[in-house]
Amino acid sequence: MLTKEDFFCDFENKWCPGCGNFQILDAMKEAFAEMDLSPEKLLIVSGIGQAGKTPHFFKCNFFHGLHGRALPVATGAKIANHDLTVVVSSGDGDCYGEGGNHFISAIRRNIDITLLVHNNKVYGLTKGQASPTSDIGFQTKMQPHGVIAESFHPLTAALAFGAGFVARGFSGNKAHLNQLIQKAIAHKGFSMVDIMQPCVSFNSVNTHAWYKKRAYDLADKNHDTTDIDAATALSRKWGDEIPIGILYQKESSSYTDRIDHLDQGPLIGFTYEKERVQQQIDNG
Amino acid sequence: MSVDITVTIGGAAGQGIQTVGDLLAQVCQKAGLYVMAINDFESRIRGGHSFVQIRISDHEIFSPRYEIALLVALDRQTVLLHQNKIPDGGIILSGESFDDAQKPITAVEFDKLAEEAGGKITANTVAAGSCLALLGAPFEFLKDILAARFGAKDSSVLEKNIKAAELGYQAVAETEFKWAFAWEKGPEKGLLMNGTKAIALGALAADCRFASFYPMSPATGVIRNLTEMTEHIPFVVEQAEDEIAAVNMIIGASFAGVRSMTATSGGGFCLMTEGLGLAGIAEIPIVIVNAQRPGPATGLPTRTAQGDLLFVINASQDEFPRFVFAPRSVSEAFTDTIRAFELSEKYQVPAIILTDQFLNDSVFLTTEQFTAPSSVPRFIAADADLDDPENYHRFAVTESGVSPRALPCRGKAIVKSSGNEHLEDGHISEDKDNRTRMVNKRNAKLEAMTGEMNGPEEYFEDAEILLIGWGSSAGAIKEAVDLLRDKDIDAGCLTFSDMWPFPAEKALAAADNAKKCVTVELNSTAQFKRLLRQQTGIHCAGSILKYDGRPLFPQDIIEEIDRFL
Repeated sequence: MLTKEDFFCDFENKWCPGCGNFQILDAMKEAFAEMDLSPEKLLIVSGIGQAGKTPHFFKCNFFHGLHGRALPVATGAKIANHDLTVVVSSGDGDCYGEGGNHFISAIRRNIDITLLVHNNKVYGLTKGQASPTSDIGFQTKMQPHGVIAESFHPLTAALAFGAGFVARGFSGNKAHLNQLIQKAIAHKGFSMVDIMQPCVSFNSVNTHAWYKKRAYDLADKNHDTTDIDAATALSRKWGDEIPIGILYQKESSSYTDRIDHLDQGPLIGFTYEKERVQQQIDNG
Repeated sequence: MSVDITVTIGGAAGQGIQTVGDLLAQVCQKAGLYVMAINDFESRIRGGHSFVQIRISDHEIFSPRYEIALLVALDRQTVLLHQNKIPDGGIILSGESFDDAQKPITAVEFDKLAEEAGGKITANTVAAGSCLALLGAPFEFLKDILAARFGAKDSSVLEKNIKAAELGYQAVAETEFKWAFAWEKGPEKGLLMNGTKAIALGALAADCRFASFYPMSPATGVIRNLTEMTEHIPFVVEQAEDEIAAVNMIIGASFAGVRSMTATSGGGFCLMTEGLGLAGIAEIPIVIVNAQRPGPATGLPTRTAQGDLLFVINASQDEFPRFVFAPRSVSEAFTDTIRAFELSEKYQVPAIILTDQFLNDSVFLTTEQFTAPSSVPRFIAADADLDDPENYHRFAVTESGVSPRALPCRGKAIVKSSGNEHLEDGHISEDKDNRTRMVNKRNAKLEAMTGEMNGPEEYFEDAEILLIGWGSSAGAIKEAVDLLRDKDIDAGCLTFSDMWPFPAEKALAAADNAKKCVTVELNSTAQFKRLLRQQTGIHCAGSILKYDGRPLFPQDIIEEIDRFL
C-alpha cells in the first residue's frame, strides 16, 4: 500500500508560505497513493505558472513544458502510450488564458487525461496581474481601475464544449479534493477539476476565509450529476454560495478508443515492419 | 534522336488539368521515358489560371524548361499567358479558337467529343488522347494506363474514357507535329514521385508512428500521403487546433517514446518556434518539415521559395543544436527524412526538413531505389542499460553531451524533464554554474553532429565559374552547368543538402580550387552566400537570385551569367 510519502521529493519548494498549492499538492499525493498509482506509473505534465511547478515537488515522471501548452504535450504522450496515467497540473492563466484553444480541443477530443486547474483568479508568478478568471472590478497594479472584461467561467465553458467530467474543488477542503481527484482519474475520458485556491500574495479578495464561507458540497444537495441543465445552472453560481463537487459526469469512448489499431495496444508497442513499408513504396 | 519536349496544360482551377498531366506522365513512365512535371496553381479552388508543365525526355531530368512545344489550352487565358514560350513549329491545342492568339491553334472540340464518348467529365481524357497522338505515342499505351486507372470502377467508366481517348487521338491523327518521335515500350526507368510522397515514405521507413499537423500549403500533402499510406498500419494522424498544439503534441509523443513529426510552411513554423526551443532544451527528438513558400505572413500560399534558410537555422530564442536538411531531389527527400529521424533521436535534438512548394508538388520520374531499411536503430535506454535506474538522471552530463534517454513509465527509471533550465535530474535550477554546464552539455553535441553532415555534391568543381546552391534548386543549377559548358563557358557547381550544423570543412575542401563563386538562390538577400561566408570565409563574387515565387529554371541562370564572365 502506497502512502503520500512515496511521492516525497526533497527538491526545495518555492511557493509562498500559506499558498493553496500546498493543500492541492497534498491532496494529489494522497489521491495517487490511495489509488495505488506508483511514481513509476504516473506522468504529470505541466505548463508555466506557480501551478506549473507542481511536478517538481513530486517523485514521479514529469514533463514541465511551455506556458499554456501542457494539454497538447499530455495529449501527445497519451496518444503514444495510452496505458499511462496522465495528469495535467495547470493554472487559470496557463489553461484558460494562454492555453484556451487547447482547453477547448482537449475536451472535444475526450482524451483520457485529468486536468487539475489551480485557480486563484490572479497571476502569481508574474506578480499579480489579472487572470481570465479574475472578477470584473478586481484591482491590480496593471488594472488599477479594476478588470473591465467579464470573468471566464471554466466550468460553464467545459460543459458547453461537451466535457464528460466537470468538477470543482477547494484547496481548503483537502479530503474532498482528494476524492474528486480520484474520481476524475477513474473517469474514462477527459476529466477536469477546477480548484479554487487563495493567493496569499496577490489576491486579497478571494481569500481562504472568503472561500470557506461560501463553498458547499453538492453531494449534500441531491444534485443529479447526469443532468446537464442543472450542472450548467450550478456552474454559473458565484457569489454568496459556491458549489463544490462533481457538477456533471457522463462517460463515452475516449480519443484513443476511437482510433483503429490502438485496441491491440499502445502505439509505443508497435515495432518496425520492413515488409509493410516496402509494400507502401512498391504500391507507387 | 534525343527526346526533350515540354507540354503545358493550362486552364482554370477545377477543370481537371491535373488529370491530363497524370495520364501523360504515366504513359511516359510505361514507355520507359523520363518525365518531370511542375504544378503551378493559385490559392483558389475554382477559376483563375493553373497549369501543369510536363517535360518529357529520354534522359533523367530534374528541372523544368521555359520553351513549350505543345500547349493544351482549356481556356483563353492559357493561350495569352503561354504563347510567347512556343517556338516555331509548336502547337496550341484548344477546344476553341481565339482572336488574340498569335500562334496557330489546332482546334479539338474537347467538350463535344467528350459528350460523344459518354460525358463531359471525360474531356480531359480527350485532351490526353490528342496530346499523345501529336507526340506519336501508340494508342495502346494510353489504353493500358486508362485500364489501370479506371479498371477497378464500374466498367462503363473505363469504356467511356477509352472512347474519349480514341476520339481525341483520331481528331489530330493527320496533324504533323515537329516534335513527334518514335515511342518504344518500356522498360520503366523508375518511380513517379513527388516530394510530399517521398517524405511520407521516409517517415514510415524511419518507423514514425505519429503526425500532428495544422493544414498549410504546401506542406499538407505530406500528411495526406501519410494518412493514405497508413490506412492499414498502426499510425496516428491528428489535426491539431493550431501549429502550437501540433508541435507540442509531437513533443509529448516523442517524450513518451514514439517517433513523431509535423509538417508546415513558414507561417506555421513561426508558431512552432517556441516548441522548437522546448525540444531543444528538453532534448526531445522531433522532426519538423518546413515546406517553404514566399512570405512573410501569408505571402504567396501556393508558390515556391527558399527564403527560410536563415530563419530555420536560427529560429527560437537563445541557442541550441539542431539539424537542418534541405533535400535536393525526391530521392533525397526520402533518405533525408530517414536520416532526420535517426539523427534527431541519436543526438536528442530537433531536426528540420526544409523543402519547398517546387519539390513537394512537382512529380519526377526517379531512377533511385526507394528501399525500406532492414531495421530501425533506436537510441533509448531501458532499465537494464542503466547503472542505477532508481537514481536516473535524464540530463546526466556526458562527454558527448548525449545523456542516456529513458522513457517515462517503462521501468524503474523516473524521467523528469523541464523546459526551464534544469539540473541533471531534470529539476529547475537557476544556479549559474549549472546553467553554464548545461549550455555546454547541449553544445557538446555539435562536433559529432557536424561530423554526420555531408558536404556538397561536386560537378566540374574546378571550373572558372562555380555556381553554388542548395536544396531543390540543385537540379536546375546542374542542368545550367551542362548548358553553359555546351556554350564553352567553363562552369561547375556545388550543391548542398546538409545545411546545419554546417559542414564547413567539407565545403572548404570542395571549393578548394574555386576561382569565382556565385550562389544561386530563391530569395532576395542571398542567404546562403551569407551563411557560406560566415561558416567558411568563402567569398562569393555575387549571386543569381530569383524571388517571384516560381521555381528555378536553368535559363534563369544562363540569362544572368554574363554578369560574372
